Amino acid sequence: MPDVQGIRKGRRQLNLYEYEAKRLFAEWGIPTAPGVRITKPEELAKVHLGWPLVLKCQVMSGGRGKAGGIKIVNDLKEGLETAKKLLAMTINGSKTESLLVEPKVSFAKEMYISVTMDRTRGCPIFIAAADGGIEIESNPNVITMPIPYPFEPYVARKLAHNMGLRGALLARVADVATKLYKMFDAMDLDLAEINPLFVNSGDEVLAGDGKVTVNDDALGRQPKFRNDVDKHLADLPERERKSKKLGLNLVELDGNIGIICNGAGLTMATMDMVKNFGGQPGNFLDAGGGSDQEKTLQALEIVNDNPSVNVILLNILGGITACDEVAGALVKFMQKHPKRHMVVRLRGNNQDKAEKMLADSGLKLFPDLENAVKEAVAKSKVAV
Amino acid sequence: MILVNKSTKVIVQGATGKMGSNHTKRMLAYGTQVVAGVTPGRGGEKVPGTEVPVFDTVKEAVEKTGATVSVIFVPPYGVLDAGCEAIDAGISLLVVITEGMVPQDTAKLVDMARAKGVKMVGPNCPGVITPGETLLGILPGMIFKKGPVGMVSRSGTLTYEIALALSDADHGQSTCVGIGGDPVKGMDYPEVLTMFNNDPDTEVIVLIGEIGGTAEEDAAAFVKQNIKKPVVCYIAGQTAPPGKRMGHAGAIISGGKGTAQSKMQAMKDAGIEVALTPREVAEKVAKLRAQPARK
Repeated sequence: MPDVQGIRKGRRQLNLYEYEAKRLFAEWGIPTAPGVRITKPEELAKVHLGWPLVLKCQVMSGGRGKAGGIKIVNDLKEGLETAKKLLAMTINGSKTESLLVEPKVSFAKEMYISVTMDRTRGCPIFIAAADGGIEIESNPNVITMPIPYPFEPYVARKLAHNMGLRGALLARVADVATKLYKMFDAMDLDLAEINPLFVNSGDEVLAGDGKVTVNDDALGRQPKFRNDVDKHLADLPERERKSKKLGLNLVELDGNIGIICNGAGLTMATMDMVKNFGGQPGNFLDAGGGSDQEKTLQALEIVNDNPSVNVILLNILGGITACDEVAGALVKFMQKHPKRHMVVRLRGNNQDKAEKMLADSGLKLFPDLENAVKEAVAKSKVAV
Repeated sequence: MILVNKSTKVIVQGATGKMGSNHTKRMLAYGTQVVAGVTPGRGGEKVPGTEVPVFDTVKEAVEKTGATVSVIFVPPYGVLDAGCEAIDAGISLLVVITEGMVPQDTAKLVDMARAKGVKMVGPNCPGVITPGETLLGILPGMIFKKGPVGMVSRSGTLTYEIALALSDADHGQSTCVGIGGDPVKGMDYPEVLTMFNNDPDTEVIVLIGEIGGTAEEDAAAFVKQNIKKPVVCYIAGQTAPPGKRMGHAGAIISGGKGTAQSKMQAMKDAGIEVALTPREVAEKVAKLRAQPARK
């Protein structure tokens, strides 16, 4: 398998629900079953797709089928009872948002097809298998194909040929692959996946389930998804969701030392040092390069809100971040929370100015990172 | 030194923006030959706070100044356009500082650069510095010192931390290249390692990596096969939980892949010195510099 970086594993980001993915497929001309989304059991009475029907929980987590989140119902009475149960389900930590109601599809074969970005090659790739199914990671028949730019549909036909397909089925699968790539490219997706792609006895194809992940950085130019962000962040813990809105990268951990740094690599390195020196990181918070006073203050407040944290370790190595901006935030923060245990390492641009601003605060500044980490670890063991 | 030196002539795309103009001033203060800024519609002006002329197009800037390198500060959705314009105008090295590019755009720009034989550093990177000669990007110049250590890194501020530890211990740097924290990018470790291997000013190479992807594992295999000079590495994210994106778009452990432990093991297996803290990087560099060259 190529390196597709957690694209399919449960990661918290802008994943679309199945019904949203299928609407998108339909807009791009990829065949899907006619489906209706319902949020209340009684809405089932207004669905006119015949019987039996398939009711599918709309959740962000994987393992839905195994957890009992997909049921076939044969009449309205059974449907109402089942819908009520399914709508109340939480699957692997993810609450059911709604149900997708579809007619039961008969099929002869299941295939797998997706487009994602291959970071090693630095280009998009197709991943496909003629015998799809759930365990794509361990399927030995999976094939991959880098997608050249500019794209032409022959690449999709080559893919279908390599999948072992011929004739009408080759043409239909290649057509789906072509549309899937065009959608991936135009909508700025991290992943566009059809799993399974149903093939019936007449060699007709239909997207049975879909997974679509939108690139976080694309939201500014993909208004279609922008309004949905809140809905899709629903699974995030509250402080992480709040941070995301403020443009701070927060990941909460189990320990008691709250860590705030500028820059992802330095934040990780600081976490590692805390652990190596015998402490327990309570979070990762990368306030980003060039953080100003307001952003630094927001970062401090968010970490302060975590009840497990008893010491805040602020490590700022000022490249584009000016130390005096950080000092300004610190002065304000400590006026509000005078009892909070703080360890501050500050070095870089305008360091002198920052030292003067903090002179009256009683806060000792550490120019050296290792000493600051050791101090934070020591404090975390005695602080309440 | 590699890639850039004091005679490198540089243009800045997006030089009239807040970040672009600020860093143009910083680069000039360091001694970088910033010869032009480019902002469409602002031709004839000067980069705010400087005497650097602004042109409407890269083509005109290159024709008038002979610049060969472009440092790009334009907003993320404009980088593909700006980069293609620079490549079309004959620029031979792109340094993309901008964070937040959509991977689809990056992949297209990388493809165009490769097809035209243009080198690209970034995106989402701090830039390149050859201490005492020139600085391209947003690195804090005062932290770096001239010397024999070549540095290549996926990180920004962590690179400064390690450069600081090196400089404090009097191990200056030949060139430092920040290749950026995005999953899709221009130059990767092997290309930079090869340049350091061939650079007479570089004695020891410091490689700074982090969780996510397999670039460090691939680099370890590459070092074993191709690099004659000693290498010290540092990998960030030893305590990162799986499935969480740690700040950088590319920094995520998934499906058990991309862990710091796997990368550190690959490095050790390739005979590379693995440091656990920034200070240890400097200690290992000191040890290697005291030894006669291996192989």
